[in-house]
Amino acid sequence: MTQFTRRDVLKIGAAGTATAILAGCSQDAERWVELEPYVRAPEDQLPGNPTYYATTCRMCPAACGILVKLTNGRAIKIEGNPEHPVSRGKTCARGQAGLQLLYNPDRVTTAVMQEERGKRKFKALAWNEAINTLIKKIEAADGQVAVWTGSTTSGHLYDLFSLFTDAIGSSDLIRYDLYSAINGYAALTTISEQLTGQAVLPSYDLGHADAIFSFGADFLGTWHNANAYGVEFGNFRDQAYGKRGYLVQFEPKMSITGAKADKWVPVKPGAEALVAQAIARIIAEEKLGSPERIERAETLTPEVDLEAAAAACELQVEDLVTFARAFAEAEHPVALPGEALIGRTNSLDALLAVQALNVIAGTVGEAGSMMITPSLSGSEMQPAAASTFEQVQTLVERMNAGEIKVLLVHGANPLYDLPESLGFAEALANVETVVSFNPMLDETAAYADYILPNRVYLEGWGYEVVNPGFQGLPVVSGQQPVVGPFHDVRATGDVLLTIAQRLDATASTLPWTDEVAFIKEKITNLPAGMYGGDDPDFQWARYQQFGGWWPETAPADPITADLAQVIEVPAAEFDGAEDEFPYFLHLYLPVLLSDGSGANTPWLQGSPDPLTTISWQSWVEANPKTADELGVKNGDIVKIESPNGKIEAPVYVFPAIRPDTIAIPLGQGHTDYGRYAKERGTNPVNLLGTTRDGKSNTIWAWSNVRVKLVKTDDTQDLAVYESKADAAKDAHVPF
Amino acid sequence: MSEDTNKHGHKWTMVVDLDKCTGCQACVVACHAENNVPIASEEEVVKGRAMHWMRIERYWEGEFPDVKAKFIPVFCQQCGDAPCEPVCPVYASYHSEEENVNVQVYNRCIGTRYCGNNCPYRVRMFNYRAPEFDAPLEQQLNPDVTVRGPGVMEKCTFCIQRVRRGAETANAENRLIKDGEVVPACVQACPTNALVFGDKYDEESRVAKLVPNERQFKLLESLGTEPAVYYLKGGETHVGE
Repeated sequence: MTQFTRRDVLKIGAAGTATAILAGCSQDAERWVELEPYVRAPEDQLPGNPTYYATTCRMCPAACGILVKLTNGRAIKIEGNPEHPVSRGKTCARGQAGLQLLYNPDRVTTAVMQEERGKRKFKALAWNEAINTLIKKIEAADGQVAVWTGSTTSGHLYDLFSLFTDAIGSSDLIRYDLYSAINGYAALTTISEQLTGQAVLPSYDLGHADAIFSFGADFLGTWHNANAYGVEFGNFRDQAYGKRGYLVQFEPKMSITGAKADKWVPVKPGAEALVAQAIARIIAEEKLGSPERIERAETLTPEVDLEAAAAACELQVEDLVTFARAFAEAEHPVALPGEALIGRTNSLDALLAVQALNVIAGTVGEAGSMMITPSLSGSEMQPAAASTFEQVQTLVERMNAGEIKVLLVHGANPLYDLPESLGFAEALANVETVVSFNPMLDETAAYADYILPNRVYLEGWGYEVVNPGFQGLPVVSGQQPVVGPFHDVRATGDVLLTIAQRLDATASTLPWTDEVAFIKEKITNLPAGMYGGDDPDFQWARYQQFGGWWPETAPADPITADLAQVIEVPAAEFDGAEDEFPYFLHLYLPVLLSDGSGANTPWLQGSPDPLTTISWQSWVEANPKTADELGVKNGDIVKIESPNGKIEAPVYVFPAIRPDTIAIPLGQGHTDYGRYAKERGTNPVNLLGTTRDGKSNTIWAWSNVRVKLVKTDDTQDLAVYESKADAAKDAHVPF
Repeated sequence: MSEDTNKHGHKWTMVVDLDKCTGCQACVVACHAENNVPIASEEEVVKGRAMHWMRIERYWEGEFPDVKAKFIPVFCQQCGDAPCEPVCPVYASYHSEEENVNVQVYNRCIGTRYCGNNCPYRVRMFNYRAPEFDAPLEQQLNPDVTVRGPGVMEKCTFCIQRVRRGAETANAENRLIKDGEVVPACVQACPTNALVFGDKYDEESRVAKLVPNERQFKLLESLGTEPAVYYLKGGETHVGE
């Protein structure tokens, strides 16, 4: 094999500010960045002058390309990778905070075990001993091994786990966490497959759209890829000839996307899909827009009694007509199916009714519309599939029945992510051996027998087939170590391959010496990308230099959607009788902490939530009218009860929420997960039940709960950044 | 541009397009990372002692259901006629002639807090206690920026360490600094490009072209502080209303 020296790689030329990899003679030096003392400085390292490495952010599943700035071997800043088709040089707040995961004071520093689960009395374990033990456990399990991954588990690791479970004859490979559940990965993939035959998440070219109808999609906050949609939104507001687009947001509680909308419509929870159907029906009946749009609207929508629909949505018929006209007459209208619909009992039909608006627009696949990123032609690399809630429940049942002997958990935290009503904790007790690969002691790791900490993403290798993709480009985003491992931690891929080589069932299907060999084989087998070249070493160097692989231009034939049936949407059903539980519960992923995976970083904990300006805490948002009814004010602690559970949290009086709804951010209420996250706030997931959607019976209907609030005598000082002066008396808008 | 008759060096300027600011806090966290700004604990925030060089203010307008939230990022306005400068007894707060920004010399500062008191924008932050970074979080600290000790005032510097590094690079290559070559951390992070940074003396720069805009205004303009931060008012698209 031709070995590249560092100088050779540098000769290839740097892309933007990305510098080349440190490749050397030995395999070790090729794989890991080595720290050198000043007296033997590497030739491209000048003290005080930074170097940059291209890699992929794993703070959420979006897989934005990033550049990490290093001075003298220390990673000190994360920036967006300007060459990357997804991030386009930008980062969100969570992306910036990745460094505090790397340098987190509460990382698990070596392989550990505990005698009794949940005691948190850990004993360090030599890695060889840990791996040998695990091999014995897996051998003894005789195929009864389950793997639970999350949506931030690197694509290469998911592929390796998938080969592994196949080879040992296990069908229990789960990819499920709170983020993918709330953002409807499984549900939206199902809809895409139905519309276009492609099992990927849809993306939306908002930068060229002229009317965005967002049905509860907080695309500027936490929906799928807030960073890429942020870039798109900037372009949307800054189009040629001063055009700035029209954004309508339908949601029960204002998100930051709602705050930026030209029209924020607090539609009744459960009635969002009805708005979409009414818009389509009005286009058909009032003959709005082009003849093709009218015809498609006639085909796709059932008879809708507009008066009744308007009443059910708590809107005026005139409003609906205005929306229909704006949609039908826009050149590039686009409708986004968001969180508000994903968790309803009528989830799949409601999402389809919204996607049908994109079909009616007739612009799917064009600039300014819904896009389906084509799969990588001529390659076996596909985005990892999200599991459904049905698969999760099946696994929990199998665990309860003692059919799972070994559970491996990577990149997910099911004990925190899923409600107590699912019974995961009880099921876990029936599993003989639980192994966590998470680099932090999270809730699930605290109940594991062994923790074999993985490298965090800034120390590790990987790839991710980006899903949803942007700009019509299929992207394999590349992840490489930017710093040497900070602790005695091992890449889970390497651990898995070591185990595989010692088991008869897997030795031949997983023959790679380490995960880098596996990744390199995959990457060098990709078709020619934007960096060209057919020499594998050249491709591998460029892949690392650019931070991924993508084609020069988007494939010429965009994927279009096809739908020709009338979509009937049954009414959403809610858990809890209205007289006992008067308020709809609206849970959302907050901009900073998101699904709680960011709760272990001071930067994300200590920065204020944009709309409430609260930091470090949990809160319940209630309309001023609701607060008056209950006789509560900011900081008064209330008990929130649903048919499934109860929690306590302080009230924050929030003017932009329906009086019949209360909203609670997810992400707090950790019982473990490091000093910054632990015992802080409350986890509202425990208010939820385990209902599945009515149509396919596979999707978690997490947004179907009603609650009641009971005032307590306790109060809490809110850590707000806004003035605590009476806003009503002292309202002052400076612009 | 009558205010700029005595042009010397650069006039580093920020334009904030409020139509694009989504309040997402990417700039806020990027600023913490770049400038070694410690995070205030929950107790400190409750006491009103939060530490941020840049914050996003949120204003409510109207009442439910016609309620609107507006975001406005606020950081040191780098005033041309800065109220913080003349009150400092030790000249810790002074105006740099080369960059035309307000600079804070941390090792001169004796913590009288007069500057913070006199600043109408409330953007100067006081270190009530020594900054704490739980090990090994201190490994992340940017070596180009001092960690300020207790009793010292600090504030946004337009990432002057980046500006100076850019100027030195340009100087070494015997050329002028290019528009967009140097950006503060907040501008680099901002997904929507709501923040634009550049030299207003360079007539071809993006900021020079954005400033003469009918949407443009300055914060508390009537005080005559001559801020170097210009805001572009957010718009609204009305359909059928």
